[in-house]
Amino acid sequence: MSTVDSRVSVAPRKPPRKPKPAPGSRGLSPLRVLGMAFVWLFTAVNLLVLYWLVSAAFKTPIEIFTKPFALPAHWFERGDPFRNFAYAWDNAGFGRAFLVTVVLVAVSSVVIVLVSAPAAYALTRLGARGADGMTNFVAIGMGVPFQTVVIPLFIGMAEVNLTNDLFGMFLVYVALSLPFTVFLLTGFFKSLPDELEEAAALDGASPLRTFRTIMLPLARGGLVTALILNAIGLWNETLLAIVFLNENANFTLARALFAFNSAASYQSEYGGLIAGVAIVVLPMLVLYLLLARRIITGLTLGAGK
Amino acid sequence: MATVTFDGATRYYAGSPVPAVDGLDLAVADGEFLVLVGPSGCGKSTTLRMLAGLEGVDDGAIRIGERDVTDLPPKDRDIAMVFQNYALYPHMTVADNIGFHLKIAKMPKAERAARVREAAALLDLEPYLDRKPAKLSGGQRQRVAMGRAIVRRPQVFCMDEPLSNLDAKLRVQTRAQIASLQRRLGVTTIYVTHDQVEAMTMGDRVAVLKDGVLQQCDTPIGLFGRPANLFVAGFIGSPAMNLIPTRASGESADVGGTPIPLSPAARAALTSENIVVGIRPEGWRTLPAGDGVTATIEAVEELGSDQYLYCSADTPHLTPDGTAPQPIAVRAPGMSPWRRGDKLGLAPQPGAVHLFDAETGARLPD
Amino acid sequence: MPGSTDVGGRASGAHLVRKKRLFFPFFLPAVTLYVVFLVVPTLATVALGFTSWAGAGDTPEFTGFANYVELLSSDAFRYSFLNTLLYIVAGGVGTFLLAFLFTMVLRDMRGGKLIRAILFFPNIVAPVALGMFFSIVLIYRPNRQGLANHLLESVGLDAVKFLQAENVTWVVTGCLIWASSGFYITILMAAVDRIPPYLYEDADIAGATPWQKFRHVTLPLTWDVIGVAGVLWTIGAVKIFELVFVLAGPGTYSPPIRAWTLGVYVFDRSFGTQGTPEYGMACAAAVVMILLVSVLVVLLRRLMRRDTIQF
Ligand SMILES: Nc1ncnc2c1ncn2[C@@H]1O[C@H](COP(=O)(O)OP(=O)(O)OP(=O)(O)O)[C@@H](O)[C@H]1O
Ligand SMILES: [Mg+2]
Repeated sequence: MSTVDSRVSVAPRKPPRKPKPAPGSRGLSPLRVLGMAFVWLFTAVNLLVLYWLVSAAFKTPIEIFTKPFALPAHWFERGDPFRNFAYAWDNAGFGRAFLVTVVLVAVSSVVIVLVSAPAAYALTRLGARGADGMTNFVAIGMGVPFQTVVIPLFIGMAEVNLTNDLFGMFLVYVALSLPFTVFLLTGFFKSLPDELEEAAALDGASPLRTFRTIMLPLARGGLVTALILNAIGLWNETLLAIVFLNENANFTLARALFAFNSAASYQSEYGGLIAGVAIVVLPMLVLYLLLARRIITGLTLGAGK
Repeated sequence: MATVTFDGATRYYAGSPVPAVDGLDLAVADGEFLVLVGPSGCGKSTTLRMLAGLEGVDDGAIRIGERDVTDLPPKDRDIAMVFQNYALYPHMTVADNIGFHLKIAKMPKAERAARVREAAALLDLEPYLDRKPAKLSGGQRQRVAMGRAIVRRPQVFCMDEPLSNLDAKLRVQTRAQIASLQRRLGVTTIYVTHDQVEAMTMGDRVAVLKDGVLQQCDTPIGLFGRPANLFVAGFIGSPAMNLIPTRASGESADVGGTPIPLSPAARAALTSENIVVGIRPEGWRTLPAGDGVTATIEAVEELGSDQYLYCSADTPHLTPDGTAPQPIAVRAPGMSPWRRGDKLGLAPQPGAVHLFDAETGARLPD
Repeated sequence: MPGSTDVGGRASGAHLVRKKRLFFPFFLPAVTLYVVFLVVPTLATVALGFTSWAGAGDTPEFTGFANYVELLSSDAFRYSFLNTLLYIVAGGVGTFLLAFLFTMVLRDMRGGKLIRAILFFPNIVAPVALGMFFSIVLIYRPNRQGLANHLLESVGLDAVKFLQAENVTWVVTGCLIWASSGFYITILMAAVDRIPPYLYEDADIAGATPWQKFRHVTLPLTWDVIGVAGVLWTIGAVKIFELVFVLAGPGTYSPPIRAWTLGVYVFDRSFGTQGTPEYGMACAAAVVMILLVSVLVVLLRRLMRRDTIQF
């Protein structure tokens, strides 16, 4: 059965390529135009900055300062486009620092999550009395500036010979990342449904088993987010590395960059310095391009609730 | 006050090749209460939002009074809208909610307060003026939304299923309140609902939409008495009209072995021999078995005031596509002694027969 | 959850006991590390703040409030404190104004998600890297200017000594706003996205301007989130260190005291390479940092307190 409508059945028209917007939104007020222009400009500057950084990493200092927007030329003509990176990698110790950082960051992040996940689970899911109070007690740690703990921490670590030592650095990183991670993961565990856990309990699974086989897989998204965010945070961490590491062999990337700074400007080695900056920044950029949504929601999660 | 005219108004949504509203032609008189009704997704809200200026109009025009408002922003159209979920601002008190539009329009405080009080009095909201919406019942929230529309004193009210979030009883009550309020204020009103009872009881006229196309726009009586096509016939009325597909042969169509006479005009308009005979449940006379269409009762629905009998014809007429015919619904007086399995005769009452062309769906002339 | 435990009855009661036994093994490792590496050192810092101590080889000597009195009369500390406050307040106001502007414009703008993602990126770049990057961009050297002065000169303006001690605090504030705005825009936009669109439609019918929509709809309905974001900003801005250290200074040792922040002060008096360390003073300054955060956070919560809103 069809209805009485000749228009539809006789001549199927073409829909417009773009439906008209609502009349209100089309009337661009000057304020709106200005706002949009500003937003785009701001965004364009951000992209330009990124371009400048990447292109400058392939330039000579003269090119950097006299032709900031030109494509790199000199090192390409000389057939050595990666000269700056090679300099930073070999002469400024970024090669070794890269390795140190990757291992330190990876191990620390994994351990942080391994320690935080059970704690967050205990605080949210075991029905312990005072759990909320203890969650707050841990969460307050997020507000403590590192500067307030770094002096006694340094003295204490020196006592047990763990300063200028990557294992010591690892301990400090794990411990100081706990408040944020536990807080983040309590949020994830809280959001999980009760039913599965109850069903497992009725089936007679032990609580430990329930945690391992049911809750952890369910919270996997949260755990991965926690892992990534910690990796980002530690990759960029500088203050503690400056305090605790003072031997080139132990330098992390951020620490190496910090050390390279004055030497590079003294020798006018700006190409190498920017390459160093790029070595620190670009892995984050790649990670960001792959996982932007996860990173953004993870980092802003605590605030939204 | 003003008229509202849709002139071939068409709306496409991005990503969909078919229009959500397709060439709508509709003229609403000044002060009229027009109800837009149709199944879910037929384009009722879209129509209303085009009128309000919340959606663009891809083709055609919309006029309020003599003014072409097609390209005017919502604020310049002098309309007020009541949203389905009321769209109350959760952080404002009832008074602030009602007065919000006036505040934006920079009306002086004293005048604003007076208008808010007036609207609140009209809607029995005075005791709640200082409350936040979260602390109101559904019906009260609905009235606040109405209040916000009233204080604007607009030329046109747009209401998008304003009662659908209320429970059944409150809905019936509020239905009457809104209708009487509208009549008192005399403001042209376009009211969207998917509930045909609401449509029939509230509207001066009712426009039935399907798939973005206007099917018929008429008074409730006109819609009920002379549905323009099969869709309207099936949509309006509850239980629905019995639509019996059959064949026209010669001067009549066969229903359960009984010939239904066809007028010459109807025969002339028919595009094939396939025809649909429509008879409402209340359009049957029940006779002793043997007279008219002989049928067996398969189920009895007792409502107290009425009784609905669902019957199957003993000599089933042939449906054009050979499928089994639907049971025939028949209304009988409440508490009648009918039982399941009883046999009875059915005959259409004079003037209760609607005829439709099965191919085009259109109503055949009498 | 009352009611839901009824099904299991006794069985879940026994299970509950077994679950509770799990609490300490699960919680203890984390809380031990937390206490040993964060709580105890914080308390130690408070205690050391009342002593005079030059670090290894010296023994701490109780001096009461002497450190705090000395802080008050120290130029370095005054600059540090005021600069830190400036970063918190001016940087905060700037960042939030920018974020508000963006929420007004981005809400119904196409490409909004992409813009947010682009603006967010600086937040996951190491502040040292940002600092170095900016120090090259902002460098003042006639004839071989950094990018910023290059642009200024190319439009015929005079180059500016951005990194001079008297300018650098404002420059760092600008960098800080630039780098963090994306984070706060994202937080606020997430809150804005939760506001039902029909409220904005009603405001459209009322004829509200973008500013009125912001003032009467967006702002009140994101108030809670703004409060939390304010707290996050304060916590983050109090400890600002790397950006200042790199931008204002020669690199490996401390910048001129005019540019200091509390973070720089603590570092300079303890691990900075010049002179003998003054751990007592550094700890006292660190205590000031904690106090500053606490006071500001409490103040902010007070200021922002309001009934919660249910949609
Ligand atoms: N924003 C949109 N984008 C794309 N398609 C839409 C949009 N809004 C509505 N549609 C489509 O347009 C058609 C008409 O929608 P509309 O909301 O007008 O229906 P309705 O009659 O109000 O239905 P209901 O009774 O369910 O409210 C539907 O098919 C719907 O899927
Ligand atoms: Mg609708």
